[in-house]
Amino acid sequence: MAHHHAPTLQDTRTTLDGLGPRVFATSLAIGLVGLAAAYGLGAAQGDGLRHFAFAYLLNFAFFLAISLGALIFIGIMYVTRASWNVVIRRLAEVMAAVMPLLALMCIPVLLLTGRIYGWTDPEIASSHAMAHKVGFLNQGAFTLRWVIYFTVWSGYSLFYWRSSLAQDRSGDLKITRRFENFSGFALMICGICTAMAAFDLVMSIDPLWFSTMFGVYYWAGGFVSFFAVLTLLTLGLQRTGRLTRIVSGEHLHDYGKAMFAFTFFWGYIAFSQYMLYWYANIPEETAWYLLRSRNGWGEVARATLFCTFALPWLGLVSRWAKRNRKVLAFWAVWIIVAQWLNLYWVIMPSYSASAMFSPIAVACFVGLGGLWLAGITRLAMGGSLVPTRDPRLDDSLRFENA
Amino acid sequence: MSATSHGGGLHALLTEFESPSAFMQACAKVRDAGFRHWDAHSPFPVHGLDDAMGIRGTRLPWLVLASGATGLGVATLMQWWMNAVDYPYVISGKPLFGLPAAVPVMFELTVLFSAFACFFGMWGLNGMPRLHHPLLAHDRFRRASQDRFYIVIEARDPKFDLERTRAFLASLGGSVVDEVRESVEG
Repeated sequence: MAHHHAPTLQDTRTTLDGLGPRVFATSLAIGLVGLAAAYGLGAAQGDGLRHFAFAYLLNFAFFLAISLGALIFIGIMYVTRASWNVVIRRLAEVMAAVMPLLALMCIPVLLLTGRIYGWTDPEIASSHAMAHKVGFLNQGAFTLRWVIYFTVWSGYSLFYWRSSLAQDRSGDLKITRRFENFSGFALMICGICTAMAAFDLVMSIDPLWFSTMFGVYYWAGGFVSFFAVLTLLTLGLQRTGRLTRIVSGEHLHDYGKAMFAFTFFWGYIAFSQYMLYWYANIPEETAWYLLRSRNGWGEVARATLFCTFALPWLGLVSRWAKRNRKVLAFWAVWIIVAQWLNLYWVIMPSYSASAMFSPIAVACFVGLGGLWLAGITRLAMGGSLVPTRDPRLDDSLRFENA
Repeated sequence: MSATSHGGGLHALLTEFESPSAFMQACAKVRDAGFRHWDAHSPFPVHGLDDAMGIRGTRLPWLVLASGATGLGVATLMQWWMNAVDYPYVISGKPLFGLPAAVPVMFELTVLFSAFACFFGMWGLNGMPRLHHPLLAHDRFRRASQDRFYIVIEARDPKFDLERTRAFLASLGGSVVDEVRESVEG
């Protein structure tokens, strides 16, 4: 009878200890090698780093979306005063708190705008259709907005992480109360910044195209990837004897539910965006999809429909799958690869009108992924992997799905 | 013989508990004794009771899946037959049967059929609707919604034997063993 013997933090290991420096050094090395390889391959293309710029942008957008997913997840958990998540919330806190590292990673994008964005092309910028956009889409305004985005995101995510660590020491209930009070506003501000960032980072590659749904499209993909990464981090830590018992099948079940629900949510948004343009059939709107449905990109689009939406959704529909560690890990890896493939299909056709495999993009994935993992490991080394004195920790340890 | 029993034949034997832990332990014993037609009643949800009672997973999800798939199929066929076969009509230059335009209805009917299967399937599997149950006429059972826990073994259970089951229930540590009678009309 589970409720009689709720596990305690003494039943497991809740710090990285010796594992931390090893994972940090390894992922840092892999990241640097990956990034160097990507740059080397990119420079060898002799295209003024254009290929590299797109590959880099793709992976920067991918890992940024995961950290934004973590930040918004924390906000939602406080607004709803949820307790199930407390035992794993520190993982989300470090995933969000690498925001300053992502700000550094943003610098190459800002330096390479001329290789990526249509609005840097004087011919496009001077066209009539751009007359009202050039005041918004120019290097100065673009850079300024990224400074604002990262100030907002870093501010909130570092505040969550630092205050949560302070609560580990003091057990101060006021910290939780303060989070609950400002998280609603934080979600609003972070949501607006995330949507605007999606417009800037990805949509403005083709400055003539627009979709009001693009912000939520980008966010939804990142949110489901966040849950997939959270699942893999949790299961990985448990393999090393950390967080065992205290993170139970009940919590994994919730990971499964979140991946299931947001896979569908992502599909719903992706399709809604597509259907409206398909139905209206207005040239300036369909141009974006036309490019992405020809010369092999159509096959990628269909693969995306199945790999990113239908298959993981069907795979996670059953309760059994959500509570089975191996099945859950399989779909978590699948979702990360599939969401990456989707972002590839969104971004890379602007680089090459015919479908192509980009080893540089894969190298960038390894590079930025390694640095990102090194970043969260470094932060996680600074304290417990669990918010040890959160007032809802007890509820979280006893949590059972009805 | 309890004063609260009514005139009909024997429906079940009932025993009462004051604490959820004694109740849960007793449930595990009834489960291990191999009874099938029995139930446990509590004024609030008790975590772990499903395990203690040995309740199998419900078949409802399969019903919902099948019904949802039916809804998807019905929506697809319906739109194809209506727009492309029975009354072909070109609407804003789209194909007679264009999948993107059909998806919203496919989605809605999948959800609708699933929800129906879930809601009415739950009723059916629980033997509802029914207007009355013999337990509801039992005075003591009223406290099942207040502060007492009950285990009820029905007489139709193949392992049921009035004297031996009564002795078994008495051995579970509950405060009393009562007979529950079938309701009698008028």
